[in-house]
Amino acid sequence: MAVIEARNLTYSYPFADKPAIEDINLAIERGEFVLLTGPSGCGKTTLCRCFNGLIPHFYGGKLEGEVWVAGLKTDEHPIHELAKHVGLVFQNPENQLFALTVEKDVAFGLENLGLPRDEIRRRVDWALKVTGIYDLKDRAPFELSGGQQQRVAIASILAMQPEIMVLDEPTSFLDPLSARSILETIYQLNRELGITIILIEHRLDLAARYADRIIVMDRGHIILDGEPRKIFLDDRIKLVGVGLPKVVRLYLALRDDNVNLKRVPLSPEEASRLIAEVLNSDRS
Amino acid sequence: MSIFEGLRFKTISSPIHRIDPRAKFIYVCVLFAIAVLFSQLIPLLILFFSQMPLIIIAKLKREWLRLMRGSMFFAAIIFIANMVSLYFYGGTQSLAAVVEHSLAMTTRFLILVESFSIFFATTSPDMLSLSLEQIGVPYEFCFAFTTAIRFVPVLAEEAQTIMDAQKARGLELERGNFIKRVKNYIPILIPLIVSAIRRSMELAEAMESRAWGASKKRTSLYSLKMKTKDYIFIVASIIVLLVSIYVRFFISIPSVTELMHLG
Repeated sequence: MAVIEARNLTYSYPFADKPAIEDINLAIERGEFVLLTGPSGCGKTTLCRCFNGLIPHFYGGKLEGEVWVAGLKTDEHPIHELAKHVGLVFQNPENQLFALTVEKDVAFGLENLGLPRDEIRRRVDWALKVTGIYDLKDRAPFELSGGQQQRVAIASILAMQPEIMVLDEPTSFLDPLSARSILETIYQLNRELGITIILIEHRLDLAARYADRIIVMDRGHIILDGEPRKIFLDDRIKLVGVGLPKVVRLYLALRDDNVNLKRVPLSPEEASRLIAEVLNSDRS
Repeated sequence: MSIFEGLRFKTISSPIHRIDPRAKFIYVCVLFAIAVLFSQLIPLLILFFSQMPLIIIAKLKREWLRLMRGSMFFAAIIFIANMVSLYFYGGTQSLAAVVEHSLAMTTRFLILVESFSIFFATTSPDMLSLSLEQIGVPYEFCFAFTTAIRFVPVLAEEAQTIMDAQKARGLELERGNFIKRVKNYIPILIPLIVSAIRRSMELAEAMESRAWGASKKRTSLYSLKMKTKDYIFIVASIIVLLVSIYVRFFISIPSVTELMHLG
């Protein structure tokens, strides 16, 4: 069974006159790296809130259909139970760190779960090492840079050892370089620990290369869902206003000039390799 | 804000920083008690300066100076208020006695500020909330307390940003009479409050996502244990208190005015 499954999911916030997401059907398999994208206000964040029970438990409103996460039906289980399976990392790192030292912050969720002290210590140290911020453990979160803060936020979710991690635009407050290194870390969690990743991201240039699958949303609906290379070639993606990665645009421009690369590149490295192949085959 | 500078915790390590918060709290209470016990200038001055070694050990000299400078305004008010009330309504005291008594009251105030600062500047808010927790204060209150402290710098920065933004749009803060000036701050306060509310929503979401309230018996990464030195510190504080009580009731302390007359 899929690790996340939504069936005919429609949800309206309290006092809203139309649903924020409508008729969502979705199945995400264990270990997938899913990139969720779409214009602002298209319902991406709302969908993610459904995955860990913030909707409907925290927000109220009207939920129709079903969401199953790790075998649990979300409206029947409290958020803290779902939190053991799904971790949510938010946009603004500043607003998800509470404590006055990094290690205390990473321990927060584990303390809430009531784990014994040596277990907390072990997991905190592990999570700090995996995210590469072990040296910062005694610093205060507000003294850190945005990228470091976002790493603390990821570590604090990671320490709870969830099977699924949902990241809501984790790089939007970061410069391109730290954004890239955060995405690199997220990718590593996916490959090495097998954590299912759902990443909301606008910067497809940076993120597309890591994804197994891209889901595009618009006005509360899923309009495209599939393998990145196929999604980028679909004309509907342009209508939504999702910025195609530059390398994909390069691919399309070359195709218009009858230069056919072997496949759609997702990163500059891949693009240059594919172009070199074409050049070499022309020569021979 | 020089006053707050002296009260803000900084992560430095000193023997004073490492004393258990509960022991330090008892020490501060003892200081308070002694300061209220005596009303003459000489013992209060002794008490005031007896804190110096602690301040030096805790590496707080600069903060202490700033704090004293920051407290001058209130100290002056206390001094003047005492002078006025004693001089006009205090009966037949000599001017020298009135000055001495007013100085004593001012010193008392400074002692309270000083001991507060020793406590807060050397106790990490995390440890403070932990000790509250171990005393039995519900975790929600302790959490609210640390979070409030955690967000002071964030909100201060935000207030500055909003002020800059509003100034850039032509808002003049330093203009007009008192009421006008207070009104000038409305365009700063409203966005600040709105964003604080929004921030608190996000914070609540993040807390929920990290299993807030999952277990009735919440555990903690750190634990506070009273060590021998903490007990020694408490015992020493209590001995000082007992000695002070003895001195207060069984030994007569001369006032400076009397000493001057004798000399």
